[in-house]
Amino acid sequence: MPNLSSKKEIFLTGLWKDNPVLRQVLGICSTLAVTNLMVNTLVMDAGLIFTVCMSSLTVSLLRNYTPMRIRMMVQTLIIASYVIIVDSIIKAHLPDISEALGPYVALIITNCIIMGRCEAFARNNPPLASFLDGLGMSLGYSLILITIAFIREPLGFGTLLGIRVMPEGFVQWTIMIMAPGAFFTLGILVWISKYILPNAKNGVERK
Amino acid sequence: MTKQLRSVVYMFLISLFFASLVSAVKYLNEKTIASNQALKLQRIILKVLEIPVEKNTPDDQISRLFMERIKNIQVEDRILYVGYEEDAHTILGYAFPVGGPGFWGPIQGMVGVDPEVTKVLGIAFTKHSETPGLGGRITENWFSSQFKDLPLHPIDGDKKIFYLKPAGTTGAPNELDAITGATNTSSAVEAFLNDDLDYFLKELWTAVEERE
Repeated sequence: MPNLSSKKEIFLTGLWKDNPVLRQVLGICSTLAVTNLMVNTLVMDAGLIFTVCMSSLTVSLLRNYTPMRIRMMVQTLIIASYVIIVDSIIKAHLPDISEALGPYVALIITNCIIMGRCEAFARNNPPLASFLDGLGMSLGYSLILITIAFIREPLGFGTLLGIRVMPEGFVQWTIMIMAPGAFFTLGILVWISKYILPNAKNGVERK
Repeated sequence: MTKQLRSVVYMFLISLFFASLVSAVKYLNEKTIASNQALKLQRIILKVLEIPVEKNTPDDQISRLFMERIKNIQVEDRILYVGYEEDAHTILGYAFPVGGPGFWGPIQGMVGVDPEVTKVLGIAFTKHSETPGLGGRITENWFSSQFKDLPLHPIDGDKKIFYLKPAGTTGAPNELDAITGATNTSSAVEAFLNDDLDYFLKELWTAVEERE
């Protein structure tokens, strides 16, 4: 069982040091797709946090019983089940957002972060550590998505969470609503992060 | 137990467990999802018949308004919604579903027409899988609001009810702006909407003539 400081370390690695979007460049499809409105971004984040944490926890709990050769099948089954549950709950209780997110909720299944964490961490680590790893990674993902939405929604629609934030007469940057706007924003964030984040390979600080 | 058999049994049990879990959640949410969809349809029908509905009108009020003002009748294999004025017997207009193949997948919509069947009251596209930002713009207000007051007449030979033309080249009331950059979606909408309008209008004209 990892001690307290290593638990913190596990959590912070996912959240920042080894951020899934900036460092591992995973989950990019949904990062680009849902970030033009903050509301959609928050729902997507909630869905992903739930799925990653629960999948990692479940895979970890079953890690000593799952036969090695069929572990991928088991992981996919677990992930798919949680995603269907999320999709069904959003459809029932947040129909407008479900419509806006379209197929992306169901596509959480294909988000590489989830399977990545199951394979890289949860199948070899105890449940609590796996849960924390999932939580760190999914919050790290959420942090970047929220940052991008925070840039795209005001510039593209002149609003934030649907509330007008830009002055009257502000010309909306239509490109920020569409995919290219997301690419530019994400690219700039990755670029900046290269300078801020410590270099993972050799720990050498850049000038 | 051999290794292989153990794997099969393990997979079977785990599938059984998760399938039951998913089924239970689906079952619990089924009714809410169905009523959400029914409400969405009701809102759209009220909207295309120009019965004022705000986006934040509570759901039970929508259902009540729908029950009071709308009746549906079967026309062959399709449904026709008849909208009534507040007095509940003067006809305010008719609404009917339209749909056809789009560029990427089927497009569905709803059209409202006046009681004399001379013009369009409103139109809404409800389901589509066109490219977001291009063909997907059929759901935007500027596109659907063009159809308001579109004069209706029987299709005579090649003369269609309406045409979608490149923006800026439209003049006549039956010429509407197509979506720039979405030629295929525009021509698909023009094709199926003309066909569906023609079908329902013929039915309606017969009905109106019989009434008079």
